[in-house]
Amino acid sequence: MPLFTVSKPIPSLSYTMLNMCTCIVALAGPGDKSSKPVRSHQMQPQNLPLLSPQKCTLGCPILDRSLAGGIPCKSITEIVAESGSGKTQLCLQLLLTAQLPTPLGGLSASALYIHTEFPFPLRRLRQLANSFKSSYSNVFASSSFDPCGLIFVHAVHTADQLFDLLLKLDSVLENPPTESPVKLIVIDSIAALFRSEFENNSGDLKRRSSLFFKIAGKLKLQAERFGLAVVITNQVVDVVTSSEGINGLRIGNLENLYSSGRRVYPALGPSWAHCVNSRLFVSRDEEILADHVRSGEYVCRQTRRQLHVLFAPHLPVSSCSFMITRDGVVGVER
Amino acid sequence: MEINTLPISASTRGKLISTGYTSLSSLSSISPSRLAQDLRIQESEAVEILKVASVNCGVGNSDGTRAIVAGAQTAWDMLHEEEFARRITTSCEEFDQILGGGISLKEVTEFGGVPGIGKTQMGIQLAVNVQIPVDYGGLGGKAIYIDTEGSFMVERALQIAEACVEDLLDNGPARKDFRASQPNLSAKNLLRDIFYFRVCSYTEQIALVNYLEKFISEHKEVKAIIVDSVTFHFRQDFQDMALRTRLLSNMALKLMQLAKKFNLAVVLMNQVTTKYCDGSFRLTLALGDSWSHTCTNRVILYWEGNERYAYMDKSPSLPSASAPYAVTSKGIRSSASNCKRIKLMQA
Repeated sequence: MPLFTVSKPIPSLSYTMLNMCTCIVALAGPGDKSSKPVRSHQMQPQNLPLLSPQKCTLGCPILDRSLAGGIPCKSITEIVAESGSGKTQLCLQLLLTAQLPTPLGGLSASALYIHTEFPFPLRRLRQLANSFKSSYSNVFASSSFDPCGLIFVHAVHTADQLFDLLLKLDSVLENPPTESPVKLIVIDSIAALFRSEFENNSGDLKRRSSLFFKIAGKLKLQAERFGLAVVITNQVVDVVTSSEGINGLRIGNLENLYSSGRRVYPALGPSWAHCVNSRLFVSRDEEILADHVRSGEYVCRQTRRQLHVLFAPHLPVSSCSFMITRDGVVGVER
Repeated sequence: MEINTLPISASTRGKLISTGYTSLSSLSSISPSRLAQDLRIQESEAVEILKVASVNCGVGNSDGTRAIVAGAQTAWDMLHEEEFARRITTSCEEFDQILGGGISLKEVTEFGGVPGIGKTQMGIQLAVNVQIPVDYGGLGGKAIYIDTEGSFMVERALQIAEACVEDLLDNGPARKDFRASQPNLSAKNLLRDIFYFRVCSYTEQIALVNYLEKFISEHKEVKAIIVDSVTFHFRQDFQDMALRTRLLSNMALKLMQLAKKFNLAVVLMNQVTTKYCDGSFRLTLALGDSWSHTCTNRVILYWEGNERYAYMDKSPSLPSASAPYAVTSKGIRSSASNCKRIKLMQA
């Protein structure tokens, strides 16, 4: 019996071919016990109570609480912020916490960091890794253990390169190079890939948004198949016109987004917003945190940073203040 | 033999019998063209035979339905049926009102809106609400949830289901014995009766829709199919837009047939896109103009100030209207300010 399995997308099937393929798949559904076809597992409903996704802790109970446990697996979480707000800091921290064993809220897995704009912040990661290692010294007993050994770093410069990398990634995900599989992918940032290459005309925008969906589709497929947590950072653009037009379009829980006193808007428009499952926004405001000035700790920058949930299928509206210290990102109780 | 009682010519009767049409019921559901083919006669003759057969059949009918062609209904019958048809509530009274009492069965209803407006929340809410037992004024059905985006979160579904059970027990029939007779009413059971499919490509999506007929005929309790979203995989890299249109309309047609055949509600979530016209960008629902014709009802969800609103954009029978709603920890509910308004009126 000729069979297609539809667990992999078949890119260029004609209309008739598609319908043929679906017929065969339909035949191969449950209940057809006479033949033993290659059956796509999606053709049977999944058992919901068993599906609760694993979550990756952020390494701070206050931040975790605001995200109901952390960054969910099998899902794309976007962090939107202007540069210098701490989104890369959050990402670096996740690269480390993903290595924690599951009872401690981690994924006991290695992580892949795909960077697109700046040189990789190696020194900062080193610093974080050292304090991470010392604060979890009971977990990572071996002294030769280095958290950086479980972080893969890859640079991409165009959207096509990113898609090619994702295609190549399948084999890495299936046969992990280290003992712990890759369970976290961070793309920092997506906006840089799309800023230069595309013009602001109808044709280019169409091409751009179909590329968004292609990349997001591939990422979601991998996230589902391998139980990955995917974190993507995005930049903001200033709102120049008044609230009229597409740039004034409200997406998510906050009516207006402000950062550093300017009204901003997530880059890449509403099409991209449909590609992610959850969107978080980090705002920063220069503000003097009186307590810390008095205590004289220089590590506490006088910047008020907040993590807001703009939308997420599982989270209510919430905001959480946090600060960046030498040891990483920590939430602040208000 | 029943055929012998028909006032038709002997040769026609002979042809009917020799091709196997020996009873009136065998003629009741056949099309004239098929009959003409089988009997090798003109279609007009076949129509005559069927007319005679249906008249003779109708005389013996005691239920009094006056169907001209077997299987067809008069508009009166349909109206009658519609009045008694139950609907799936959204758990928000104002929202139900603009929908004419809730999501109607046998129809395809499309919801569209920006990310975060509550499409997935609505999907989960409906998947739960379709299961409200008949005793509590619900349908007591089951739901098929087709997740194309990976946004269905079990923890959220559990929250919504728990709130639903709680509300039912609070507001439902108060008799204690009645409560005891509903041992199955628990959030866990509500989740168990959502058939959840995760779909990762458009090929899978089409395959699944094609397979649904078989699945539903094995699970007749299914009263709602929710696709969240119908759009996602169809916005990826389609070179051939004509192919996309054909695939989509074919899929919509199949869903519509399922809705009719199994008396269930089909709910499709759609995304928004920017459309370039007259030199500026405008926001519309995705998938193009031809898609907008395929759904029977279209509801647009949008922000107005700090409140979520639903707008009935297209419906064959209902007026365009809008209503506020809220997404709360319990799920979709009436918006808070609206509740206040009602309270003020009472005071």
